[in-house]
Amino acid sequence: MNNSNTAPIPGGLQALEARLAHRLAARLSERAEQVPSDVAERLRFARERAVERARDARTAAEASHVALTAGRSALLGLAAAWWVRLASAVPLIALAGGLFLIQHWHTQAQIAAAAEIDADLLADDLPPSAYSDAGFAEFLKTPRE
Amino acid sequence: MASEKELSDFLKSIEKRAYKRAVYAVRDEDAALDIVQDAMIRLAEKYFDRPAAELPLLFQRILSNATMDWFRRQKVRSAVVRNFSEFESPEADGEFDILETLEVLGDSTASESAADSVSRAQILLAIEAEVAQLPERQREAFLLRYWEELDVAETAAAMGCSEGSVKTHCSRAVHALAKALQAKGIAL
Repeated sequence: MNNSNTAPIPGGLQALEARLAHRLAARLSERAEQVPSDVAERLRFARERAVERARDARTAAEASHVALTAGRSALLGLAAAWWVRLASAVPLIALAGGLFLIQHWHTQAQIAAAAEIDADLLADDLPPSAYSDAGFAEFLKTPRE
Repeated sequence: MASEKELSDFLKSIEKRAYKRAVYAVRDEDAALDIVQDAMIRLAEKYFDRPAAELPLLFQRILSNATMDWFRRQKVRSAVVRNFSEFESPEADGEFDILETLEVLGDSTASESAADSVSRAQILLAIEAEVAQLPERQREAFLLRYWEELDVAETAAAMGCSEGSVKTHCSRAVHALAKALQAKGIAL
């Protein structure tokens, strides 16, 4: 029985465990450095491949970032083009509006003229039917004596 | 963000230990190399934009996951059996003194002759064999905590368990190693 040599308190035992563990780890490190050359070579190859993949991933991420930025710019450009097109359409809209107003004014003028004629006819001494009476027309053509 | 050189230097600094960890776990050198390569590529592809300081913990976790993935793919029955040994009740340490092993290991660093050198190589092999014999979780906790020098919280994060479990696994691993080495006369 060697229990009398063991540290009596848990803290002491933990310290012993840690010291032993670190010494064992040091031996493992020593051993790990002794890997065969072919293994070391394959590890080097794996490391280089991984670094290459990281480079590719970084490039791809940067490219997608650039594409995103370009997309945003294109969207802004598209919005600007939309405003330019709208501005160029303003004269056409003004022309169409003007034509509509002219047409409306012309129609109103025709209605006003017709109303004036109708008012004159109704206000005259002769009844309107007299103008369509053939005998009255003949009477008007006959020279007065 | 870690630069290309930082990533390369980091991978170079851990590649041999990572390989050994994988060998201890799967006991197949080719598979271990594949696992390490897989872990390196996963780290490079998914975490290339992380700061260099975060790489060690990330890599340990990825390596653990890659090892587990390998086991899942291989469906190695023995791995399951080894894991079950975690649940075995710990044997009584009544006749075992961790201090004796510590003293012996401490003495082995003295200047050595050729015979000592051979003996030392045998000791290293024996230690490695005993580490490989540890139950999966104990070995992982021991290697992460003391070999990779992660602290308890980082080890727990890498293993996906509580800090208490890490302490328990580490303690059991150290005791098991000390006992096994002492039994081999590594009274060294």
